Amino acid sequence: MKNSKRVSSLLALSFITALILAAGPPAGDVGPTYAIRNCRIIPVVGPEVEKGTVVIRDGLIESLGPADKVKVPDDAEVVEAEGLVAYPGFISALSNLFLEQPARPEGQAAPTEVPIQAQPAAAEDRFPPGPGLFVLDQLKPKKAAVEGFHKAGFTTVLVAPIRGVFQGQSVLLNLNGEAFQPMVLRNGAALHINFTTERGSYPSSLMGTIAHIRQSFIDAEYYAARQTRYAKGPAGLKRPEYDPRLEALVPFVRDRKPVVFQCNNLEDIKRALKIIAEFKLNALLAGANEAWRGADVLKKTPIPLLVSLDFRPPAASMYVTQGEELRKKAEAEIYPANAAALAKEGIAFAFVSAANADGASVLRGVRTAIKAGLPKDEALRALTIRPARYLGLEQALGSLEPGKIANIILVKGQIFDDNAQVTKAFVDGVLFRYAEVSK
Amino acid sequence: MKKPLLSCLLGFVLLAAAALPASADGGDILIKNGTILTVTKGVIVKGDVLVMGGLIKQIGENISAPAGVRVVDATGRFVLPGIIDSHTHIALAGTNEGSEAITPEADVGTVINADDTSILTALSGGVTMVHTMHGSANPIGGPNVVLKTKWGRPSEELVVKEALPTLKFALGENVKQSGRTVQPGQIQRYPATRMGANAIIRREFLKAKNYMEQWDRYNKAAAAKNPPKNLVPPRQDLRMEVLAEVLRGNMVARCHSYQATETLEFMELAKELGFKIACFEHIWEGYKIADELAAAGIGISVFADSWAYKMEAAEGIAYNAGYCAKRGVLVSINSDSGERIRRLFNDAAKTMKYGGLSEEEALNLITINPAIQLGVDRIVGSLEVGKQGDIAIFNEHPMSAYTRCDMTIIEGDVYFDREAALKDREEAAKKAAAPRDKGGVS
Repeated sequence: MKNSKRVSSLLALSFITALILAAGPPAGDVGPTYAIRNCRIIPVVGPEVEKGTVVIRDGLIESLGPADKVKVPDDAEVVEAEGLVAYPGFISALSNLFLEQPARPEGQAAPTEVPIQAQPAAAEDRFPPGPGLFVLDQLKPKKAAVEGFHKAGFTTVLVAPIRGVFQGQSVLLNLNGEAFQPMVLRNGAALHINFTTERGSYPSSLMGTIAHIRQSFIDAEYYAARQTRYAKGPAGLKRPEYDPRLEALVPFVRDRKPVVFQCNNLEDIKRALKIIAEFKLNALLAGANEAWRGADVLKKTPIPLLVSLDFRPPAASMYVTQGEELRKKAEAEIYPANAAALAKEGIAFAFVSAANADGASVLRGVRTAIKAGLPKDEALRALTIRPARYLGLEQALGSLEPGKIANIILVKGQIFDDNAQVTKAFVDGVLFRYAEVSK
Repeated sequence: MKKPLLSCLLGFVLLAAAALPASADGGDILIKNGTILTVTKGVIVKGDVLVMGGLIKQIGENISAPAGVRVVDATGRFVLPGIIDSHTHIALAGTNEGSEAITPEADVGTVINADDTSILTALSGGVTMVHTMHGSANPIGGPNVVLKTKWGRPSEELVVKEALPTLKFALGENVKQSGRTVQPGQIQRYPATRMGANAIIRREFLKAKNYMEQWDRYNKAAAAKNPPKNLVPPRQDLRMEVLAEVLRGNMVARCHSYQATETLEFMELAKELGFKIACFEHIWEGYKIADELAAAGIGISVFADSWAYKMEAAEGIAYNAGYCAKRGVLVSINSDSGERIRRLFNDAAKTMKYGGLSEEEALNLITINPAIQLGVDRIVGSLEVGKQGDIAIFNEHPMSAYTRCDMTIIEGDVYFDREAALKDREEAAKKAAAPRDKGGVS
């Protein structure tokens, strides 16, 4: 409840800023009211419209439907969209957009564990800020990245930090310009945990990391219990010492704020599930590019899956350790079928761009997954309504419905066809036009 | 390059992995007309073993197969219990939490990697069970785990829950980091000496005792009729919890040690603090204290040979295992390796030449003895009715220099079949030679 209040106030804030943007220097073409006409509408929720109109006002979808049923307001700027298809803007519920990170060389398998010869570090710098870090403070928005994501259909991204075991807290952004403050839908969206090691200090092994994660949650619960008790009646009680690291963890163990576990392989999924059950966390599993191998386990849990489009088998996988031929085969044929296999098993998931900052290649990844057997409508849901639901934003995003945020992409062709092109994107009702490239 | 035969085999067996008949419930199989080396109940020269639902149902002569049960002809071959490796590090994502000296919270059971192809290597040498351990970088490492080598099965199905919980300890050169060059700006990790290793283990156990007392006091107060109003529980500490389990006797020590003196000191420490040592690992100087080990009922898990690879191994002798066994110590031969694991039978056989063990005694070192060390001799380690159907079939006597493993069976399911693997290899070679088509994965 607390969260949704916070979201709505943040949403309001972003609308106001959108209005300010509209009045100020344009971020793309800007206008407060639009009527998109004569487009095919694929709303994801509700029936498709062969030839229809979408009215956008003040950053929201005001109405939509068949051309003869929706009146074009007098004050609307008409966007002629004959031959275009309107979809809800895609949502990537996990990305590292706008973060500077070392690129991994093409074709190199994803690391599952970084072996480090660690030395004990001084107590105070043993644990970096971790759970208390807000990634928002590190963002460097880039126009090219926004454009690249728009052209791949994405209008909303959750940006997560990238370092350490307790990586910190993510921010949810609507890609509505170049300045990041107006983009913020929700800061501190989730806590992100990665099964990696801390450089140069404890834990230096995966098993140490698992113990460290568990001990941290145990300590956070203990801390919260003592703080609560002390607040109720301090007389006769020793004052519990303030600890910023544990304080940052409390909302995740106490108030079910979401925790995202980065799962680099099948075993990480099982490790995460154990920790989630132990501490009753409100969690999501990310990465999961070999989740199909754990279908039996995943079928039994309602925990959302954020499936990356990275088809490289994890380094320790048996598809890697038996020679280059099998690894190549796995990357070309086996891992791309992950999503298709999950869909077949009835396991719901959302697609995420994850570490890939190149929008075009993310969309190519979706197409590859479709070629490997994923039904197109499953792919579409995995990029729209499902991530919206997982992020608790299904009232505001994820489909084309009146009252929802006007995040809309207009596509020449079907978005999952190889030659499809996003020619316009509305984000918070702000219009971005992209020149058509002849292919 | 180290394992030319296997690296050829691996790829093809893998493709068969998906089609493994193995199930969580255990399989049925009848092995006919082999020489049955039961280990605990003598030898049956021409005998059969029937496994039903994963368990050995019948051992004897002229057993007929129930309808639908696969029959394996073992004529001229040797049927023995699956080999058990008492000390290895296979099937793990990481071996050491080396950042600190004391890390009993770092449990290898949490980082099982069922994709490790060493499992397959182990199967090709008749190994059906492994004690896969935390490394020896710390005086107190982490809990170990016992696994069955069920290649292709999900990690959780590999774990042998009946096994004795064990905690890894280590002494000597590894923990004092004598082989490590301390870089400028780095700190030499404590302990840097053998006496330091002993002292830090003692210190941590005293802390654990204190921790247990704190909880006892709290639990007692909380259970009282009128608990004190301001009663606050102690902090739960995963590190101390594990040591408390050792002190309560619910977990036993497996201690990496080489030299006689530090080993005796560790035994003293265990006596003082009241914890149980199941086994010393490697212990090249075991022969110097064989009587003390036998008297204390502590086993050893050692290599057959190849000592002197570091200073503290300089006084190793090939007679170590055989001599200790003769003196009444419970001895097992281990691999400590994902490669040597496939020829434990060769290593065990060396004790016949060096130490004068009989064929039977030598075979004990890789079957029933490690089973006793791991607390699983009720369920594996020999061929007896009621035990689990973990079986290896060899073409010659396993202690012969000319032997090789032909088939490895776990709980009645065939996990390694040399003939089938070779056939797969031939077919794959043919396919590779033929013009390539763009076939998908089936």
